Amino acid sequence: MLSFKKDKKPSTAKFKLSYIAMLIVLVLLAISALPNLYPNKSWLHVSSTPHSETQSLPSTKTLVTFLNKQGLEVEQGLDKQSTINVLLNEPTKSAQAQAAIKAQYPNMQVKIVEHATSPTWLQDFGLSPIKLGLDLNGGVLFVLDVDLDKAVDEQLVSAYQQAKSIIIKQKAHGVKAQQTQQGFEINALPNATDKLTPVIEELQSRFANLAVVTSNNGSVKTAKFSYSEQGRSSFDKEVMGQTLTTLRSRIEELGITEAVTQRQGKHRIRIELPGVQDPTEAKRIIGATASLGFYQLKEIDGQTFNMQSGGTIKLDPVPIFTGDHINNANIGRDDWGKPLVQLSLDGQGGDAMSAFSKANIGKPMATVYSEYSQNAKGEVVKKSEVINVANIAQHLSSRFSITNMKSQQAAADLALLLRAGSLTAPVTIVHEQTIGPSLGSENISNGLAALMLGMGITLAFMALWYRRLGLIANVALILNLTSLVGLMSLLPGVVLTLPGIAGLVLTIGMAVDTNVIIFERIKEERRQGRAPYQAIQEGYKQAANTIFDANITTMITALILYGIGYGPVKGFAITLALGLLTSVFTGVYVSKVLSQTLYLKMGKKAGVKAHA
Amino acid sequence: MLNYFLKGEKGTRLRFMGMLLSAILVLLSVFTLTQKGLNFGLDFTGGYLTEFTTSQSVELKELQSFIAKNHNGEFELTAQGNSHFQLREAPSASTTSTTANSLDWQSAVTQNDDINAQVLSSAYIGSQVGDELFDQGCLAMFAAMIAVMIYLAVRFEWRLAVGSVVALVHDLILVLGLFSLLQIEFNLTVLASLLAIIGYSLNDSIIVGDRVRELLRVQSNNVLSPATIINNAIKSTLTRTLITSGTTLATVASVWLLAGAPLQGFAIALFTGIVVGTFSSICIAATLPELLGLSAKNYEVKVDAHTQTLLDMP
Repeated sequence: MLSFKKDKKPSTAKFKLSYIAMLIVLVLLAISALPNLYPNKSWLHVSSTPHSETQSLPSTKTLVTFLNKQGLEVEQGLDKQSTINVLLNEPTKSAQAQAAIKAQYPNMQVKIVEHATSPTWLQDFGLSPIKLGLDLNGGVLFVLDVDLDKAVDEQLVSAYQQAKSIIIKQKAHGVKAQQTQQGFEINALPNATDKLTPVIEELQSRFANLAVVTSNNGSVKTAKFSYSEQGRSSFDKEVMGQTLTTLRSRIEELGITEAVTQRQGKHRIRIELPGVQDPTEAKRIIGATASLGFYQLKEIDGQTFNMQSGGTIKLDPVPIFTGDHINNANIGRDDWGKPLVQLSLDGQGGDAMSAFSKANIGKPMATVYSEYSQNAKGEVVKKSEVINVANIAQHLSSRFSITNMKSQQAAADLALLLRAGSLTAPVTIVHEQTIGPSLGSENISNGLAALMLGMGITLAFMALWYRRLGLIANVALILNLTSLVGLMSLLPGVVLTLPGIAGLVLTIGMAVDTNVIIFERIKEERRQGRAPYQAIQEGYKQAANTIFDANITTMITALILYGIGYGPVKGFAITLALGLLTSVFTGVYVSKVLSQTLYLKMGKKAGVKAHA
Repeated sequence: MLNYFLKGEKGTRLRFMGMLLSAILVLLSVFTLTQKGLNFGLDFTGGYLTEFTTSQSVELKELQSFIAKNHNGEFELTAQGNSHFQLREAPSASTTSTTANSLDWQSAVTQNDDINAQVLSSAYIGSQVGDELFDQGCLAMFAAMIAVMIYLAVRFEWRLAVGSVVALVHDLILVLGLFSLLQIEFNLTVLASLLAIIGYSLNDSIIVGDRVRELLRVQSNNVLSPATIINNAIKSTLTRTLITSGTTLATVASVWLLAGAPLQGFAIALFTGIVVGTFSSICIAATLPELLGLSAKNYEVKVDAHTQTLLDMP
């Protein structure tokens, strides 16, 4: 042991710091990799919905017996005051249990929540296992296409309608709005040009993204309204942002906790719902475009709307307020037992309603329900219907109800949509995928088996071919895998997918490359008659260049793949890129330290000459 | 070119024979690609894909006729295992709705007591999305090739760079040719593996090229012919090339064997890519520069002391 220390002395100061740094990095990554030994378990959280008034939670015992009776054996049931937490024997059946509970207790909220099972000290550090992609976890994937063109058209039409009503309100005689191909224009006769400016200003304050070009056409002054490229792109951004927010809150309303909702490309939205097994409910709610608006009746110059009960009615095109101002909505029943939706408005909506109803007691108000749907040709069209017209009996405040709902389901859906907000642009589902939980776990076990076999073959080969140096390479390889798993668990946004596992296996096969290049170099240097220590030094030095070159090209392709790939392919690119980093780290730096200290010095101590 | 076959060392002759073989294989691949095309998967064509298992093993033909009775459109049924099937339907042209035009076959197979199917996964991809994915994939391949070419042009002498890029294109064409010949489904993960092949094919070529460059610099006195230098470079890197390709092939093979159907195409593409990549790194990446007139002089003139140190920086 003494001689060991003696040998180390000359270069101690130089090496110690980098040794320690390397050790710290390795230990930290290894600790981050630890939680992966404790996979998450999905629990069911049952609570009463905040929107229902009178529904008490069943006792834990009742719930457990109910589930057991359904053939869903409960491993653990915990009573947590306002919620009951249940763990099933087979957590993959959680979705089934969720559906069963929902059917039995319609007013309960059932969520599937992942619970960490790792020791608390790991959780205290904020460490968690690698997130699994849908192909490994099971779940539903939607890719939605947001019809931005349609939204722009709608916006232009609405601006045109409002322009007309502004003109009437401002009593701007001689000013006329007219629809054109690109948008609409407002013409002012020579004697009314001074009345044009306030109309334009008012309109621009309502539609900030609209571009206006004024020109004189003979004696007529014309203001053309359309979307400039810039205005269009900021409008698109707004719509996409709003759609994302709305979809997120809708998914939340559905009780799905770990959903991933993100923008994909220019006009797509990708929604991943892990753990969900039946896409129909999610589909109905996510794709729904229903919105509400409250309008004043207007016999002259009004816009014609269809009545649900048949016939048409003329309404003021500018709503008193829209569904955006609704804070909360619940379902209920009226005196005759028909379903209705109770609304409560936010401050702005409440004020509008209060002011309007005060001035219009005894006059009617119409509720318009609009929805996008596809016609026979597959085109998206907006369908607006007046669902009821009621006389304002008294001064209304921020709470009132909408009656005349078709069914309980329609009322419940409308209430949910009003709570979560409406979509400004119609969406269509362009990609839908459901992966069963059994397929997901099968994918995991297959992937792990492939990893084990690939790793086993590589380790065995290296140990047989390079003997002692091979052991160093193998230690480096295992450290590589640990570091890679640690890094993947540590970085947010990294998701492991099935191709990602393939990337992991591939990394293992390729990682030995660095060591092979180095060891072949060392052998060559030995053949040229260098001493073992120098041969190793020289081998690592010479090989560094080649290794750098070889890895950077793979890195380039991995980065490009990451940049444009989606879902599973992105997972592959991430593992590939991170794997390159860790394999250079362990293959070059760590194994250099290992071979210098362990191989040479231990070899000397034992009196054996290093031979490679 | 003929005298390369007649004279020269054994190694040189082998290399040129290999190059000839590669040329023939590329022609064959291009031929099958133009004749048969690729069997594009759901990712690119759009449509519906349903994967299900049956409780007991069912004959494909029986199941086929059973489903045909309950299905009013066209479909394609393939067996993934004894009791594991995949059903593919074309996207319906008229509507873009996500429910397949004939869902009744699903309830028929799940409710039939003899078949008792259980749906494992289902997917719908709009045809427009498929087209976009294809464009994007092509863009990715293109971007990767250009980026890599720029890198090589900066890092290497142009003859070596051209050799590596030609080898890379060769590898991609051969893999595509195999997929066309065997009509293996070409999906998004296969596309990802093609991009990985770009990386790995270059890996081999670069290591040989690196060594050629190094030897050219050392023996700049022009004693040895370029052919001999290239042969020596290949000899000294051959063990490494074989070992690395071997371990990578072993891991890819274990993915092929164990990781199941979803990664089958991916593993096949990578496996072929690595085999032809190893071959082309020797027969094309190292041989083409010789034809283009690579000699020690290129390095004598071009590399002065300053750029030398720059090049050697990791």
